[in-house]
Amino acid sequence: MLGRIRREAEKLTINGTGIQGVQSMSAQYNSVGGSPLRNLGIDDIKYLPEGPQTARLEVDTLLTYVLPSGLDLGPSLDPMQNFTGDLPFSGVIDYGSKQLYFTDAYLETYGVSCGVGEIPHSVTTSVIYGDFGTGSFPAWAQASATDPSLNITSYNSMEINLDEFKTNRVSSFSVEVATPRVPIYTVGLDIPTGVIAGTPIEVNVNFNLEVDDYEIKNMRFVPDETTFRNTTITLNKNNSSTPLLQYSFDNMLLTSESFSAGQDSNAGVNFNLRTFILR
Amino acid sequence: MATVFYDKAAVNVSFGDINETLLASNCSINLASPSQPMYAIGNKGPLGQFPAGARAGDMSFGFITSITGVYNAQKGNIINFLASGIKNSSNSEASGVQIKCAGITGYGFLNSYSFSVASNSVSTSSASFTFFGSGVQLPVSGFLYGETNETPSQTGLLATGVVHGRYTSLTPLRTTIASPTETANVFGADYSLSMAHSPVYKLGQEFPLTTFYTTAQESINVTEDIFDNALAFDETPKDVTLELKGLGNIGHGGMLIGVSGAKQQGTSMTAGLDDIIRTQKSLTAVY
Repeated sequence: MLGRIRREAEKLTINGTGIQGVQSMSAQYNSVGGSPLRNLGIDDIKYLPEGPQTARLEVDTLLTYVLPSGLDLGPSLDPMQNFTGDLPFSGVIDYGSKQLYFTDAYLETYGVSCGVGEIPHSVTTSVIYGDFGTGSFPAWAQASATDPSLNITSYNSMEINLDEFKTNRVSSFSVEVATPRVPIYTVGLDIPTGVIAGTPIEVNVNFNLEVDDYEIKNMRFVPDETTFRNTTITLNKNNSSTPLLQYSFDNMLLTSESFSAGQDSNAGVNFNLRTFILR
Repeated sequence: MATVFYDKAAVNVSFGDINETLLASNCSINLASPSQPMYAIGNKGPLGQFPAGARAGDMSFGFITSITGVYNAQKGNIINFLASGIKNSSNSEASGVQIKCAGITGYGFLNSYSFSVASNSVSTSSASFTFFGSGVQLPVSGFLYGETNETPSQTGLLATGVVHGRYTSLTPLRTTIASPTETANVFGADYSLSMAHSPVYKLGQEFPLTTFYTTAQESINVTEDIFDNALAFDETPKDVTLELKGLGNIGHGGMLIGVSGAKQQGTSMTAGLDDIIRTQKSLTAVY
């Protein structure tokens, strides 16, 4: 009989913590041994590895569940945000009775976004320099889980601190953090001897506004009228003003603006703020 | 028809009763017949173009460093075997080897050999030969034709016996310093060997009577992460043996390259964006 595995039989565990609110996840590798050897007078097909073997992990998670307050599990209550630093993580994906393990994963991008009518969610992509798949691994059963109570439930549980928002309505925002990684490979090994947390970290914040009096800058504003902004986005606990997650960046550079209008929509402006953070 | 696709153009090297088809990725053959114009007083134009030297050719090819053969009880490929034999030879009179590609054959003397090893990469080598010809034997002969392969094998196999940075540690090349106590990580190495041959010509014959091997120089450039500033005015020579390994050589011996009396002649460091500082040192040995 053909069976199938549905969401109730799937779970993601990272460093022993069960990640809840996962909307989608994908893990994949492309074997570096997939290229055939080619030579003059070729008379057979032989394969050999070329390049370092890595894998990728992508996770899309609702921010309804965060780490329990009061535990010293990192500077942020979002477990994935804590890996934007230089620490790797390991984990396991359970699907049915099978497990897929990974070790030495490093976050490469971390993003948070929300729009009107949506629940805030985070999207992360990670590169795995260690092992991936099946094999002999420690039993990483879920030792704990993120707080099972619903903490951040919708777009009305947030505060955005930016001048324009007093008179213009934000319809959506996104925060994207790119954390570069530099693996160091030596001869004689197929795993890196170290992974350097690259610098600077690039942060992009995008806002979509339904505008009232927002004024688009002249595109030749650099350098005479270069615009820097401080931005703070705070996600509060449900039905409370208790802040749970905060994304705050100073001196972000306005890098792009776009205007859009349609016969069936309000005038809208999209603009991007960017900053770079040195580790 | 002279249209030959690459799959019918294997590079084969033979010496005595041994021969090996190399995993070549490129090959070039050149043949030159040098001539020079002659002028004389009383003539405005040249008297003509006259031979300025014997016809000679050369051949160079790049190949994947393989460890598929066993020569003199040493694993390796025929080029490494030839290089080792020539640089350590006690007999000055050299003998060439026959090299063949797509129907073109030459009788050549190895004048350079190099290989590089880098982390997680397949090692590549290159070699070049000079064709002097011999007696009445032309430097290059034959015509282009596609050589029929043996029955092609379509079975998926792992390319065992190919040198790979994953399995080659190059431990003897690591720099160590005493204060602070550190041992370098080796990221890669480039090896090169150049050899000089001297053909002896006699009157009444275009091609050389014989050819002598004269000198050889080999160098290894190592990329690592320690800058050793204690380079001496007169460095102590040392013997180094490199062992190149690949798939199928795990736990077994690999191809050995013995470097005798190598002196470190330089050290350097480079820094670039988004990378660690890498250092280089160069070792040179002469024969």
